[in-house]
Order: sequence, then structure tokens, then C-alpha cells
Amino acid sequence: MAIQRRQFIAAVGGGTLAAIAGCSGTSGGGQSDGGTSAGVTGETLTLTTTTSTYDTGLLDEIHPDFEEMYGVTVDAVAQGTGAALESARNGDSDVVMVHARGLEDEFMRNGYGINRRDLMFNDFVIVGPESDPAGIQGMSSATEALTAIAESQSTFVSRGDNSGTHTKELNLWEAAGTEPGGDWYQETGTGMGEALNVANQQGAYTLSDRGTFISQLSEIDLVILVQGPIEDGPEILANPYGIMAVNPGVHDNANYDLAMAYIGWITSPGAQDAISGYRVNDEQLFFPEAVSENPDFQQYVPEGWSSDSDDE
Amino acid sequence: MSVPLEPAAPLFPVVVDLPFREGYVRSIIFVSLYVSVTAVALSTLVSLPVAMLMGFADFRGKQLVKSIINTGMGFPSVVVGLLVLFAVSNQGPLGALELIFTREAMIMSQFVLATPPITAITLAAITGVSENVRDAAHALGGTRLDVALVVIKEARYGIATAILAGFGRAISEVGSVLIVGGNITSADGVSKTRTLTTAIQLEARQGQYDTAMVLGAVLLALVLTVNAIVVRLGDEGAMR
Amino acid sequence: MVRLSNVTHAFGDETVVEDLSLSIDPGEVVAIIGPSGVGKTTVLRILALFLEPTAGTVTLDGRNVWSLSEENRLQLRRRIGMVFQEASLFDATVERNVEYGLRVRESWRERLRDELWSVLGSNGTPEAVTEALDFVGLSDKLHQEARSLSGGEAQRVSFARALAYDPEYLLLDEPTSDLDPRNTALIEAAVREARDRGIGVGIATHDMHQAERIADRVAVILGEGVAEVGSAERVFENPRDARTAKFVAGELVY
Repeated sequence: MAIQRRQFIAAVGGGTLAAIAGCSGTSGGGQSDGGTSAGVTGETLTLTTTTSTYDTGLLDEIHPDFEEMYGVTVDAVAQGTGAALESARNGDSDVVMVHARGLEDEFMRNGYGINRRDLMFNDFVIVGPESDPAGIQGMSSATEALTAIAESQSTFVSRGDNSGTHTKELNLWEAAGTEPGGDWYQETGTGMGEALNVANQQGAYTLSDRGTFISQLSEIDLVILVQGPIEDGPEILANPYGIMAVNPGVHDNANYDLAMAYIGWITSPGAQDAISGYRVNDEQLFFPEAVSENPDFQQYVPEGWSSDSDDE
Repeated sequence: MSVPLEPAAPLFPVVVDLPFREGYVRSIIFVSLYVSVTAVALSTLVSLPVAMLMGFADFRGKQLVKSIINTGMGFPSVVVGLLVLFAVSNQGPLGALELIFTREAMIMSQFVLATPPITAITLAAITGVSENVRDAAHALGGTRLDVALVVIKEARYGIATAILAGFGRAISEVGSVLIVGGNITSADGVSKTRTLTTAIQLEARQGQYDTAMVLGAVLLALVLTVNAIVVRLGDEGAMR
Repeated sequence: MVRLSNVTHAFGDETVVEDLSLSIDPGEVVAIIGPSGVGKTTVLRILALFLEPTAGTVTLDGRNVWSLSEENRLQLRRRIGMVFQEASLFDATVERNVEYGLRVRESWRERLRDELWSVLGSNGTPEAVTEALDFVGLSDKLHQEARSLSGGEAQRVSFARALAYDPEYLLLDEPTSDLDPRNTALIEAAVREARDRGIGVGIATHDMHQAERIADRVAVILGEGVAEVGSAERVFENPRDARTAKFVAGELVY
């Protein structure tokens, strides 16, 4: 008995020690030992972004190029639009990537974000059951489609979480002049994939970004009833992504050098090609916007800003 | 239990579609264990003396401590996560330590979650030790510390239960580690702050319920294994 | 010699012991007898130096115990062994129980080393432990779990546990009241053996006949005060106090 116990304890003890030793090997990252002389080598960039962006897998696909180029690590934190901006506001992240222009503009006006660039775009689609009770199939106006859904009181699933998608959805209702409410309008407070599942279960309509819908195709029976601009649908369903660095003037601990290196890289022709080449289920999810012959000044300032306006 | 790291099509067809690259599941299991085991170990170091004090000494504020422990038992993990977030955020009092989105912050929040149940159950165990045994330890020439050690040894099964309860609470919670950890992995799938629970949450929000279930089974197996180890160690002692 | 001089002890308003003077010398057996609940346990705890009386002095070899620092008092306390009415063995093997007294008297470094060795199972048994178990006739139970012993065996192990570290005095609190005649005889034989080896034994008992069998001197406690202290022979045959005479005659039962 005594011998058995000794062996058992040795086994458990040895296993624990091995696990701990293994741990220090894989803990953290970006601690590369020299090599390039870039001043940022070995550092970690904290990027906060939305869950739908992260869940497409794009970032995991393209980040290794950047990480190798500079010998750094990118910590991509998928938090949701509101939380991503809040983290940046608090100085807990260095660079923020979201797709909610109104909130980005506010972020810049308040001085937290600088050096904004248009990054890429995709679009939203209105999806629903094949039976299409509200009869919106093929409509060329998103607002008309929503009005039809409201009038027919067909079930509509909303994200209800102040995400970029939810913000777009609310803007659409506002543009349509209808305030959604009642038994047919269900707010889930979940991520996009889950929301699609809920809509699928109930045979309901919902607004989704194209990327998530494509990746869910195999799991659900919903179909696209109103296309977005990528497939010649209404422009109002466009979903542009922006990237901003956290202002070192507000948070001096923000890794501004590395943030700018990142923005420089991701808006470069190389990375923009990689973005355009990213496929899920053989479909292109993102369309690059950063590289253009023609000037686009509006990407640097809040929409509608001009030096004559009241804004600072 | 071995989880398919390469596409094992016949058994788990759903796994084929997913980015379960080499080491992904292993790394999230590791992070889960590292965070929870460390938190529970630290928690036990604090809970044991506190429980001893509560059980055998009288001091001002004893009732207050008792209330804090009881409230702590039911404290929602997500609220603890928020509190730790406020503390370690750049704007918070501990901001300079740059703990946000790190495993250390996760250990902090799980420490807060595990300590109340470990303390409360340990307290019950040690007050269950008969006064006669304590007297004997004392009468045979033991100092206060000796008597305390005897009590801990006598109550060891109850204390083991307490630690298991704390571990269970820690490893299965998702609210706090999600908020303070950020659910981060490197681009090649090696987890930095992603645990089994937050990985499940991620799969669920994407609607990938099958994968979520697989990870859930892994988590269950892990918890059962830890329980079995502790119980086995206990039996080894009893068998002598 | 351990001596109580005019010791009084009260628990709150209740006076349990009043103006008691009593001593135990090495090599003698003193029986403290009286009905159950009269305060014998309290007297023993005061003799064991871990209960401070509310009045009176307690000395060991002339040193006033309660005027010493806790450190020094601990050293005195460690020269005394105690056996309780309920064996109160630890939830461990007999060996671990009996060696407890030895362990706590070691330095921390020695203790750590010994703990480590026993966890890995490669310790030998200290000689004192085997001797103590021989004394009570239970050497074959060395590795048995204490919880699995019978009542009589447990009490004998309890005796060995108190004996293992070679105390100068041994105090026993009604050690045989729950035991059958055979085990009672074994304990009593052990008491005599201890006395013959020069240990001063104090034994609390409500069994007069036990006192008759083994005591050199007796202290008869009736009610709150001592009724009588004297040699066993004298007290039983020529009790000075009327209450003692009644108790000896089997009349007073509280």
C-alpha cells in the first residue's frame, strides 16, 4: 500500500510540474529574441473589435503576416461594438476596429480616436423564411421591406445589443418612419450567429451581416430576401468598417507606435488584397476600401465635417 | 480524454468544419486549469486561516465577516467580473499594473468567487471536529499552532470538499473571465485568455451548438477527473 | 511535585472547586474521587496546567505556573501526560496517534523532515512509540486505523499516546468508566506499572473500589469543596468527614 501511494503521489506531482513547465513556454507571446531592429519588437498590440468581425475568422487569417513582419503579437479582443469602443475610451486597447460610423464619429469628436481610415466594407441582408409572409422578396428598398414586415406583423428578430448590426437596424426603422414594437418584434441580446438560429427556429425575419449569414448557411433554412449593395441591393444596407488608433494624447500608455504600424499595414495594398481574398464557404466576405487612386477625405473626419462647420 | 485535433470525420463530422488547429483545445484546457487551479490554491491559503479564526477565536467584526462570506457565496460571477474590470482597467486603481486582458486578472476574479464557498465549507468542517480531540492535542503538549494543524488534519475530508466546491465554481464560470480576460487567442489558435467556458460561449454566440457541446463534454470530463483525483488521494489515506 | 494550594475555580457564577489543596509526587498514585459532575475534570485540567484557577496557586517543582510566560509554561505542561474519558484519538493510524507527543516536541525542521518521510512511507517507527504500545500490550496494532479500534483498545492507545514522550506526571480522567472489566484491569495494571517507574499519577474516578485497588492517596471531593485528602488506607477506614464516611459506605450518590 505504501509503495502504491508513493508512486501515485510522484505521478501526480511530476505531472503537475511538467504542466507548469509547459505553461511558461506557451504563456504570453511576442517575446521574440531580437532579430529585426523595429522599435516595437516583442510588444503586444491590443485590438478591440466586434464579435461579428472576429467570428468571420478574417483577423486570425491575416494577423500572422503583421506579427511576423514586426515580431509582435496582436491580441484581438472580440467584445462587441459598444464594449470595444469603451475599452478604447478607457485606454485598455491601442486600436479599435468597428463598423458603426455614427459611434466612430462620436469617438473621434470626443478626442479618443485619431488617424481613422476606411478599412473595408461588406453589407447587410434582410433574411427570412422561404415562405416570405410579408412578401418582401426582391424589394429594392430596405425601408419599404421593414415597413411591410411591421404592417404584416411578421416575426422579426433583433440583436437588441447596441452592436453595429443593431445600430444599423435601428437606423433603418427610423428611416422607414416606423417604430418597431409588439409581440412580433423580438430582441434577443445575443450574437449574430445565435440570432440567426433563433430566427431560423421561429421562421422569422432578421437583419444580418452577409458574412455571418454565409458562414451559417449549412445550419439554417433562411434565405436572403433583400440584397445588400454588393449584390445590387439598396445602398443603405452598406456596412463599412473603420479603424482608429487610440489617442496617445489622452492615454499615454497606449501603444501608439504599434497601432500606427498596424493601421499602416492593414491599409496597405498587400493586406487589402489578403482581405479581398478571404473566403468562407467559397464566398468573399469583405471588400477592401483603403487603397484608392482618388482622395477620400471623409474617412479622416466625422461624417459631414468641414472646416467651416461648427465642429471643432 | 482525447479530443480530435485533426479532422476525425467519422466520429465528429461537425469538427471537420471548425478551426480546431493543432493545440487549440489543449491550450484552452491549459488556460482553464492554470487560472482556476491557481485561483483556488491562493483562495485556500486565505480561506483556511480565516476559517480557523472564525471557528476558534472571537474578534470584533466576526459577524461582519460571516455576512460577507455568506453574501459572497451567491455573488454572480459576471458582477465580480465587472468589479475586477473597474479595478484593473487603465482608468482604475490598479491600472498601472496593466492587468486588463491577462490571465492574472482572471485569477483575481476567480479568487473572489472561490474564497467564500471554500471558507464557509471549511468552517463547517473544522467546527465539526470534536472539542475532545482539540483538548487532547493541547493536553499532549501542543501549541496553538499544533492544535490548529491537528484540527485541519481531522477535518481534511471536509476541507477537500470545500476546495472541490471552490474549484467547481471557478472552472465552470464564464461571466467574469470573459469580461476581464477578453477571450483572446493568438492567430494560430493558441489560447492566451480563452478558457473552456469562454470558448463554449464563443461557439454558442456563433450558433455552433454542436461544437459547444463537444467543448462542454471536455469541461465535464475535466471536472470529473479532478474530483476523482482528490477522492482517490483521500482513499489512499484511509486505506493505510 | 505538582501542587495545588487553596485553589478555587468558578465558571461564571458557579463555583466548581473551592479552596482545594492537593499534590502529586513522582512515584505515587493519587485518586481524585467523587460522584460524576462534581468537578473532578476541572481539578485535572488545573493539574494539567491548562486551566488557570480563578483563585489559588499552582506550582510544579516549586515554580508558580501561572506567573510564567506562555513559552515557559508550555515547557512545564509538556512534562505532563493526559488521558481522557473518551479516548479522543486522532483520525489516523495508531502509530501517528502515539507519536504525536514526540512530534510536537521536536524542532520545526525535524518535524518537517519527519512529516515528509512518513508521507513517502519510508519512516521507521520511533522506539518510544513501540515501547509505549508494548506497555499497554498493543504492539500489533501499530498500523491500524485508530477509528477501527474497540473502546478498550482505544483507551489503551490513548494511554500509550500520553506515555510515549516519557512524562513525569500522568493524569487520567475516568479512563475506565466506559470499559469492560478486562480492559479496566489492563489499564489499572498500566497505572501501577507507570507508578513503579516513577511517574506521578493522578486519576479521577467515581469508582471507589478502583481507588481502593490502585491509589496510594485519595482526595475525596463532595459538593463544592474537598472533603478529605489522605492516604487511601486512612480515608477509607477512618474517614474524618461525615460525608466521606457516607460516600465510602456507598450512601451519597449525587
